[in-house]
Amino acid sequence: MPASGRDERAWVRGAQAGSASDLEALFRSHWPRAYRAAYLVVQDRAAAEDIAQEAFISAVRALGSFDRRRPFGPWLHRIVVNRAIDWTRARSLRREVGEEPLAGAAAPAENPARPLSPGVVSALADLSPDHRAVIVLRYLLEYTPGEIAKLLDLPRGTVNSRLRRGLDTLQGRLEEER
Amino acid sequence: MTDAELRERLAGNPIPGERESEDRAWAIVREAYDQRERVPRTDRRWRPVIVLALIAAVVAAAVTAPGRAVVEKLREAVGLEKTEPRLLRLPAGGLLLVDSAHGPWVAHRDGSKRRLGSYEAASWSPRGKFVVATRGRDVVALEPDGDVHWTLTRPHRVSDARWAPSGFRIAYREGNTLRVVIGNGEGDHLLARAVAAVAPAWRPEPAGLNVAAYASRDGTVHVVAVDTRQELWHTYAGAPVTRLLWSEGSLLVWRGGIGHLYDFGGRLQETIELRPGHVVLGATFAPNGELFYTDYDPQARKTSVVRMDGKPQTIFRGAGRLEDVVSSPNGNWLLVTWTSADEWLFLHMPSVDRFLTVTNVIAQFDPGATGPRAAPRIAGWCCS
Repeated sequence: MPASGRDERAWVRGAQAGSASDLEALFRSHWPRAYRAAYLVVQDRAAAEDIAQEAFISAVRALGSFDRRRPFGPWLHRIVVNRAIDWTRARSLRREVGEEPLAGAAAPAENPARPLSPGVVSALADLSPDHRAVIVLRYLLEYTPGEIAKLLDLPRGTVNSRLRRGLDTLQGRLEEER
Repeated sequence: MTDAELRERLAGNPIPGERESEDRAWAIVREAYDQRERVPRTDRRWRPVIVLALIAAVVAAAVTAPGRAVVEKLREAVGLEKTEPRLLRLPAGGLLLVDSAHGPWVAHRDGSKRRLGSYEAASWSPRGKFVVATRGRDVVALEPDGDVHWTLTRPHRVSDARWAPSGFRIAYREGNTLRVVIGNGEGDHLLARAVAAVAPAWRPEPAGLNVAAYASRDGTVHVVAVDTRQELWHTYAGAPVTRLLWSEGSLLVWRGGIGHLYDFGGRLQETIELRPGHVVLGATFAPNGELFYTDYDPQARKTSVVRMDGKPQTIFRGAGRLEDVVSSPNGNWLLVTWTSADEWLFLHMPSVDRFLTVTNVIAQFDPGATGPRAAPRIAGWCCS
């Protein structure tokens, strides 16, 4: 669950002052969504872990100069999503080993209430990394199209068109499954 | 599907292994944080000393009379000494392994040489009885005369195969993973994922242990007992690692123009810091443990061959790029490839009182080719 802005600012301040426990609170608060966002774009658990981890390490390195008035999440998510896009593009150029089959991403059978749908994961796989990224930023991380445009350095119209096209493709794939 | 349904499906149950990944990542992020706390204090305390030491060393090497004398003497002498138009003989024993655009070659002391086949890159087995080479998806063990001993074909592209000093293991990269195969081509298995595009390096092991260092994509260097898969130690995550090199007592990790020297226990012993913008093009430890590297200044377009023996000492400087640097097996000669001049330079150690040059190197290892051609690279000088 994301922390309140006040909590987050306090953790950033504490981490800047040398408090590892504040850094851990910040990390634990943001890891699940950062990791999931990376995973949904790259669809590879090891790569998602690396990407999210590298983003946090970048955050640690830049901690001293981080402006506490700014929210931490968008800054982190910008790194995560851009790196995930780069990784996915690179993979498409150079097939890599270690990719796990999509079935491996299915939720554990013992907890079927809200599964991480294999359907939605495989449907996302049919999108380009750029389209996946805007879908993830909009519907997982809940940024507005204007915020996504800023995060990805894109015109807002491009974000809207990618969202529309991505949703249409997803809708089509998921309809086929039913 | 409504927006709410899509949100719910994307934010569903945990991804398998999510919790474990969080704990693993936290351990690494925490370590990076601890390093962040420690490094600035260390830097502040030692920075004036390091800067003074580097200035003194550079001045001593390049400006003082003895240092300048060596450099100038060599500069003037190049071209005046006897220069061979082709490789007639090696000045010391052993076999030279050379990677060319059309495959690796083995050059003998008498200057004869043989191309092993159409492989991309090669390296020696510890006693020079075999060569391990890569080609596309194949890892291939060869006799030095080119006969294939065994071939391992993987699903994806392989590179950077390196034979362990024990002779019983070979490490190689496949995509972004590091794998290990037994020296007879059997028992191939995954060792690590998310590795950087840097060749693994085996620790010299008189006891026959198989310990390797590799770099991961976050800039961490891991030192692993390969047979037990036990990590012995690792560095902090940092700038991308560009080169790993073991001596008999230490591991040198290059990150661009900065080299960190660790002892076998992972304790930082020494930091080598090139001038800003300079890069290391090649490095080697001589059999006596002395470190040599080539320090390229992109602005001046000159390269210095540096001996690091407590302090850096420039032993040669030339225009353009001098890249690979390897020591002869007996340590009496240092071979440097002068790529820009299409020459090889053999420097006599330890005093650099003599040198030999071999010209037209590209044509010798790429006969009959037309158009732009790549300079051959020295993959090793093995085993007198």
